[in-house]
Amino acid sequence: MTDLILVLVVLTNLKLLGSSRLGASIRVVAAQGVMLGLLPVLAHVHELSLHFAALAVGTVALKGVVFPWLLFRALREAEVTREVEPYVAYITSILIGLAALAASFWLGGRLPVSTVEPSSLLVPSALFSILAGLFLIVARKRAVNQVLGFLVLENGIYTFGVGIVAETPFLVELGVLLDAFVAVFVMGIAVYHINREFDHIEVDRLDRLKG
Amino acid sequence: MKHEALLWLLILVPAATGALALLLRSVRTILGAMCAGVGISVALGWYVAGKVLMSGPVSAGAEWLYLDALSAYNLGVMLLIYGLSSAYASVYFRVELREGHLTLKQARLFASLWCGALAAMTLVFISNNLGIMWVGIEATTLLTGFLICVHVTGESLEAMWKYILICSVGVAFAFMGTLLVGASAHGLGLRAPEVLLWTRLQAHAGSLNPACLKAAFIFLLVGYGTKAGLAPMHNWLPDAHSQAPAPVSAIFSGFMLNTALYCVMRYVPIVEAGTGNTGWGLRLLTGFGLISILVAAAFILFQHDLKRLLAYHSVEHIGIITLGVGLGGLGTFAALFHTLNHSLCKTLAFFAAGRLGQMFGTHDMRKLAGVMRVAPVWGMGLFGSLLALIGVAPFALFMSELQMLKAAVDKGAILALVLFLFGAGVVFVGALGHAIPLAWGKAASTVQPARAGTLETLLVVVPLVFLLVLGLWMPGPLQTALNAAADVIRHVSPALAGSPGGIMP
Repeated sequence: MTDLILVLVVLTNLKLLGSSRLGASIRVVAAQGVMLGLLPVLAHVHELSLHFAALAVGTVALKGVVFPWLLFRALREAEVTREVEPYVAYITSILIGLAALAASFWLGGRLPVSTVEPSSLLVPSALFSILAGLFLIVARKRAVNQVLGFLVLENGIYTFGVGIVAETPFLVELGVLLDAFVAVFVMGIAVYHINREFDHIEVDRLDRLKG
Repeated sequence: MKHEALLWLLILVPAATGALALLLRSVRTILGAMCAGVGISVALGWYVAGKVLMSGPVSAGAEWLYLDALSAYNLGVMLLIYGLSSAYASVYFRVELREGHLTLKQARLFASLWCGALAAMTLVFISNNLGIMWVGIEATTLLTGFLICVHVTGESLEAMWKYILICSVGVAFAFMGTLLVGASAHGLGLRAPEVLLWTRLQAHAGSLNPACLKAAFIFLLVGYGTKAGLAPMHNWLPDAHSQAPAPVSAIFSGFMLNTALYCVMRYVPIVEAGTGNTGWGLRLLTGFGLISILVAAAFILFQHDLKRLLAYHSVEHIGIITLGVGLGGLGTFAALFHTLNHSLCKTLAFFAAGRLGQMFGTHDMRKLAGVMRVAPVWGMGLFGSLLALIGVAPFALFMSELQMLKAAVDKGAILALVLFLFGAGVVFVGALGHAIPLAWGKAASTVQPARAGTLETLLVVVPLVFLLVLGLWMPGPLQTALNAAADVIRHVSPALAGSPGGIMP
């Protein structure tokens, strides 16, 4: 079951790299967040505690409902066309994604972590999410898309955390989740302001500060 | 028991002040409440820090809050900078208010975020749990983001976007590193609430998984290094520093960078002990420090904007501090001393740049000339702090850099010594070339000379005198505090640390 989720996470990342619609991208990231929220529950199904259940509910609610809502709102208020507008074409993006996937598997095998992982796919798919997130931040013009890239990166680190440190204290996880929430909130407001000031949300025109 | 309550108050007081600021109805009351709240925090913080420096670490909340010599020293310096900057902010924003640039909404936003950022930074220093420390750093990023665009303009939005995005991604890497540190403790059998406690990891540092720890430290250094403004991850820094209002730039440069660097310092003893005291982590720090010094030196030569110039000075000095920690021994002592000196000096420089910017209506150094004649007090502040920043004797920054050179010679790190001297030399020449016309050039006749009030004069004179005195004479208690803090990084047990045989400058 965990393997299935991890494969789906890898596939959603590839879908994001090839997606041309902002709305679709937000939904894909939401779906990825929900699946990852369920991951710790499935990984610890034999020792299910209140801790994991509460965490799963919080993660699913934030990543599956609140984040997409905030992003759709930013998108609606910005009233932009719904194209992604890439620097790097979609096909090239997917090809780069596949290369990153291969690199993740290679690196995942070499990384010196004695995992408590329930699946051998865990570390590679986490690394792939991190790389895909970074790529989305650099290679897309839309500010909303950069936020999505950040979320995918965050998801990757989350996957990693589930796999290798099963015993992260509850309070820490709560703090991390809260920070992610505020980050998306702040970025959403920033997108709105950028749109009002510049009449667009393309970050390639944020180029007045140099040197 | 009493000290435990004080640790909690240190976070609660600024947080409550921040909430209060949202309810007040006049700009002057808001600024007054902000200064009062910060003032109480400073008094509390200095009292606790003094206790810790004299009689050893205190902890609270089942060891989740913990203050030792290193964090107490950093907390003390941070509060000093915050106190000065808050007094300055009230001066700076009163001018904005008089000229009609500040609305009630902006003042509320500023004061609540300002106090919130203080609470978040305090959390970084007093948390023993490395995960919560990370949460504090990320919270400072998000809270200070809007401080950059108190005045919403195209440029300030651009700076804020870059700042939030680059720092969030960087700090996400630091979280990856924190997780890897947790993973390296996997074999120790620590219980879940204990696994990320610094004191536990420090005590068991020898039995952590070294390969895992090395991977972790690389992530941590890149992650927190981004927030600290180490080159080549410094790209957000000049933009954010130049666009933020001057009091915010002062806090950014004065202590937010150091807060992130403090997180790296926390990990140094664990990584050193965990990798068998081979100096692997220290060499990485030396490398990053030198790169930062050289990159900053190259950019300082070609700046036209005064605040961007100061921002690149920050990159240089953060590099110097990192280099000092990397050299170890006397270098660690000098690095901590340099932290205080640089923070004071850079805060003063941003204060002056902000007020002069208000008078001249620009930060462009080609138009900003002859400041000594137009505004003698702030002109002296700017010129004095620039001289101190480039390492002119007998200011304290010269002394700490000299100690660092001595540390490099002691260690036989000749390449580091040469590169450091080269970088500092380029900065000296480059910045002096900017500073002289700035001070004595021909001022545009349109600028109205402005008189400085008593508070403004004090804000200039006190830091300058402080830097001058520290350059000539180091008080005994400060030296003890610095040694105790440096011993935490150098991982000397407290029993040895108090003895007079500690490393003397």
